[in-house]
Amino acid sequence: MERNEVLNQLNNIYNDILDAEGIALTDATTADQVDGWDSLTHIELVVAIEKHFKCRFSSKEIQSWNNVGEMVDSILSKS
Amino acid sequence: MIFNSIPFAVFFAIFFMLYWMVFNKNLRLQNLLILAGSYFFYGWWNWRFLSLLIVSSLLNFYLGIWIAKTENEKKRKLLLYIGILQGLAGLIFFKYYNFFITSFAEAFSVFNMQVNVTTLQLILPLGISFYTFRTISYLLDVDKNKIKPTTDWVVFFSFVSFFPGLISGPIDKAKLLIPQLEKIRVFNNAQVTDGMRQILWGLFKKIVVADNCADIANQIFDNYLNLPASSLLLGALFYTLQLYADFSGYSDMALGFARLLGFNITKNFNFPFFAQNIADYWRRWHMSLTAWLTEYVFTPLSIKFRDYGKTGLAMAIIINFTICGIWHGANWTYILFGFLHGCYFIPLIIKGTMNKKVKKEKITMLPSLKELRNILATFILVMLTNIVFRADSIAHAADYFKHIFSMSVFSYPLFTNRISALTALVFSVIMLLVEWLQRDKEHALQFNEIKIVPWFRWGIYYVIGLIILWFGGTQDTFIYFQF
Repeated sequence: MERNEVLNQLNNIYNDILDAEGIALTDATTADQVDGWDSLTHIELVVAIEKHFKCRFSSKEIQSWNNVGEMVDSILSKS
Repeated sequence: MIFNSIPFAVFFAIFFMLYWMVFNKNLRLQNLLILAGSYFFYGWWNWRFLSLLIVSSLLNFYLGIWIAKTENEKKRKLLLYIGILQGLAGLIFFKYYNFFITSFAEAFSVFNMQVNVTTLQLILPLGISFYTFRTISYLLDVDKNKIKPTTDWVVFFSFVSFFPGLISGPIDKAKLLIPQLEKIRVFNNAQVTDGMRQILWGLFKKIVVADNCADIANQIFDNYLNLPASSLLLGALFYTLQLYADFSGYSDMALGFARLLGFNITKNFNFPFFAQNIADYWRRWHMSLTAWLTEYVFTPLSIKFRDYGKTGLAMAIIINFTICGIWHGANWTYILFGFLHGCYFIPLIIKGTMNKKVKKEKITMLPSLKELRNILATFILVMLTNIVFRADSIAHAADYFKHIFSMSVFSYPLFTNRISALTALVFSVIMLLVEWLQRDKEHALQFNEIKIVPWFRWGIYYVIGLIILWFGGTQDTFIYFQF
């Protein structure tokens, strides 16, 4: 799977979970740059991402992500 | 030293002058002065417990460096656990030892077994709950590679014992404060003026609002058996106002003093009484503690429980807030307080609206009817739960509630001193009004100097100063010193 494809699918997931419309994630995007993405929504997003990409992240992995790019890296490493 | 006292005023005046006029040429000297000042400040209260603070700083300083250097995962975790255990052990011993053994004895007495326990005459080291959480967060962040450990011991020791926040927080994260300690501070007139305004507002809240509300709340709580239920509700109201004005007033002063030294430390309050639901409330109340617990307790738990959907999330929240309650002290009332607050999230979790922050709308003068309803509902929930927080025991809280749910709730509240109750109420309303109008600012007295003419600004300062002198109450300490 390509990075852009992953980002596109993440955009859809984020829009859905955060009840938003025009989210456009990039590799450098962090939580404080996205309205509604905080520690409470974070876990909802993780669950939705795991379900969508049919993968499972370890606790350590999830807590190591500093931006969307690192999240994408983890997703790609599972496929 | 308490911020609103003569010794502190003298100390800080001297410190401020030395800091900006004598020690400002060299970063190391500037930091050494901070360290010396912080230890003097802490030692003024009790020089014996100063050794605990120093030992804790020393141990965590080296642990931070060793953890970062260690590649071996097992060894790394061992060092991390040593550090966390050291911090928690000190905290648990001084804070909870008596609670554990008396609860232990009580549990045995249920089975008619008498266990003789000796409680120790333990004084709680001031600030231990706060500086311990600083060091623990430092080690956890180093372990997760979120920050590099500092190799400058003066910087690290200053981070742990930074005196504006030493006694009652905010609980600064290392990644916010350490970088500021590693750069020389340059005098900035605007920053200093802003700091002074925040201190003034903090003083007003503490001396005028908190201390006057305390008088009324104490009278009512002490005499609750003889008062009508309507008075008891007012007691809860005044206590809630007192708690907010006291702690946020202290925090405003802490932030203000830090700003006078060129530091921006973490905000602790964001006008919590304007919250529209309980999640929003905790994002605005004691923010540094909420952030700490969210990062180091809630997030790992919610990740672990993510397979259990909403139930898992609820469990994570309840555990998180029960710990928040326990943090406050060794009493079942605090545990119940925390547990209840965790439970209040359940409707939000079920509805799925916990995450949806109130969308940032244009700041209007008045709240909409819906907003007002939400604000009042949240406030009342918080106010009633504060009865549990304040009570001496669960039985005391239960009794207080029993007396509220009686017909006398419709009778006129009694006051031994109507004037002082009115004073407390009037100034509380003024406080809330000013904060409402300034709710999009960093603090209530933050304003753009260009937009307000000097005579008006100085007028405000004088008026507040006079109010403090005329209407100031006389409570000696800050409530959160005991935590």
